[in-house]
Amino acid sequence: MKKRIAGLAAMTAVAALALTGCAGGDGGGDGAPIKIGSVNTLSGPATFPEASAAAQAVFDRANADGGVNGHMIEYNTVDDKGDPASATAAARELVGSDEVVALVGGASLIECEINQDYYAQEGVYSMPGIGVDTGCFNTENIAPVNIGPFNDMTLTLLNGSENLGLDDICVLLEIAGSTQPAYMAGVERWTEITGKEPLFVDDTVPYGGSDYTPYIVKAKEAGCKAIAVNGIEPDAIGQVKAAQAQGWDDVTFLFLTSVYSENFAAALDWTGGGVHVPAEFYPFTEDNEINEDWKSLMEENDIALTSFSQGGYLAATYFLEVLEGMDGDITRESVAEALQSMEPIENPMVAAPYQFQKVAAQDFEPGAWPVVLKSGTGAWEKSAEDWLMIPAG
Amino acid sequence: MNGGALLQGALAGLASGGLYAVLAVTLTLMSRLVRVVNFAQAATGMFAAFSAVWFASELGLPTWLATIIGILVGALLSGIIGWVAATWLSEATVTLRSAMTVAPLLMLISLSFILFGNKPQPFAPILSGPAFSVAGVVVSWVTVVMVLLAIVVAVACSILLRRTTVGTKLRALSERPTTAELIGIAAKPLSIGVWAVTGAISAITIMVIAPSQSNDAISLSMLIIPAAAAALLGGFKRLDLAVVGGLALGVISGIVAQIPAVSFVRNFIPFLFIVILLLWSQRKEVWDAAR
Repeated sequence: MKKRIAGLAAMTAVAALALTGCAGGDGGGDGAPIKIGSVNTLSGPATFPEASAAAQAVFDRANADGGVNGHMIEYNTVDDKGDPASATAAARELVGSDEVVALVGGASLIECEINQDYYAQEGVYSMPGIGVDTGCFNTENIAPVNIGPFNDMTLTLLNGSENLGLDDICVLLEIAGSTQPAYMAGVERWTEITGKEPLFVDDTVPYGGSDYTPYIVKAKEAGCKAIAVNGIEPDAIGQVKAAQAQGWDDVTFLFLTSVYSENFAAALDWTGGGVHVPAEFYPFTEDNEINEDWKSLMEENDIALTSFSQGGYLAATYFLEVLEGMDGDITRESVAEALQSMEPIENPMVAAPYQFQKVAAQDFEPGAWPVVLKSGTGAWEKSAEDWLMIPAG
Repeated sequence: MNGGALLQGALAGLASGGLYAVLAVTLTLMSRLVRVVNFAQAATGMFAAFSAVWFASELGLPTWLATIIGILVGALLSGIIGWVAATWLSEATVTLRSAMTVAPLLMLISLSFILFGNKPQPFAPILSGPAFSVAGVVVSWVTVVMVLLAIVVAVACSILLRRTTVGTKLRALSERPTTAELIGIAAKPLSIGVWAVTGAISAITIMVIAPSQSNDAISLSMLIIPAAAAALLGGFKRLDLAVVGGLALGVISGIVAQIPAVSFVRNFIPFLFIVILLLWSQRKEVWDAAR
């Protein structure tokens, strides 16, 4: 059996090589396609399919309009299955054999941390639509379009203490991998800005747990007025439901962008004192002209309206703008050069302008738009009239 | 850390304890009567519950009808797995029969991703709200029902096995399958019946618990791990100890979450529970003999 699998794998590899034709990137001669790739978590326990789908939609539209300076764009989306070995292989497939000029618009659970050294070694730049793991925010080759869960933590706490005037906020952290220090830094940053401390921090909350009642009871007993949690959608739903079962009616939930979706709103009828989230991109649950182009493009292509598809769309849009401003051959080196020296791009969908170098160095003022899901409404609404910014410290 | 907080933790863990207990009872029944450790037990309940949600939200059926359909789906799914086991693996070892159930476990998880997506489902709670409070902890209806369900199922099953003809036949089948068949007991329908009943119980359990906790396919299917740990206390043979094991496991998890110094072990509690039980059960074994 093992032998057969190995044989199949070898044959697949040979076939893949034959199909890709081992195309050496001769680097953007006349009319040669521009190859772009992205590594995404498309299968596994948590999946982020919308970011790359949105980027694909933007590139398809550009191709339909005649491409970029006469070059068509070839966009290759690879699945890392949320698995380190597959993520490594995916990066080598794109960078090594496809010879992409850059990585744009992806969203992966683990990819940045695993591949950042390889990208640096190959001189390839990555612009994820949504950066999730810590590796997306600590290297000069990777600059995600979103502000990331760690800034998000600071913002959700700021939103709770400053906009909502809550004190006695408790922080419950679900730690996956090596994210604990980054989240704690996010909490400390809030303390630096406001001088306020969390009532307690519990970083032992299980990731993907089933019953959160014990943790909710602990927080309720400690006298927390609000709990700030970094859970993904299913966990956050579990926590809200546990609080409901405990009759904790006046608790406010401070969650992160990852729960800002129509699905989450539909799943929860009761939200206590409200679920408050700093949305990393301009809120998409209300119609307005700011999101109009994104929304119509997503609906045309049947892509879910989520923060992830906003991220993928923005990454691809920024990247096209950089490409269009380039003269001469489009190669990995010239693209890297252009990204390094790009002018900041403004977009009303985000709080801060995007400039690759600054974002990679995390040297900018992150901001998000506070939204709330109130009990019994089943729909998100804006809870502020402007971006909430983290002041430059 | 005072006694009050520990008591609260213990009460907070009771709901999951009841859940583990019900599943542990069904696992023990399966192991006793149809010689299998069914890894797909919780997944069957998960899939049945997701089907119920689908019938309610997509087809607009009333909740009670969708719930009944969900229970039937659970019984049917489990019955199909039982039919496979009875048809092709009737003479196989317990190990082999149990290993077979890993396939439906993975299949049901994948199938639910394909059919229902991988997001949590909008469950309409069948039971909700607090029943009463003890020491400042609200004990919800879900907790009460879960604990009662575990006890009722265990008691009902043991009466069925001891006092009824069907029970006698089932016991005969599990102890001497060939002899039982020779004296004319219909093995296949009976064993498929056991599978179907446990499937229905799992479906009911998951439907009661799902609205009040994380309810994506993976977390619901993986409830099999603590349930198996609980069933181990009774050695997959004794129903009463399976109930005790389930409740104890839930209570311990609840208490551990309240003590910061040890809360890092909370993810390994079922595992620790298994290791300790195995060491305890092997305590009298001499090395050479146990090898």
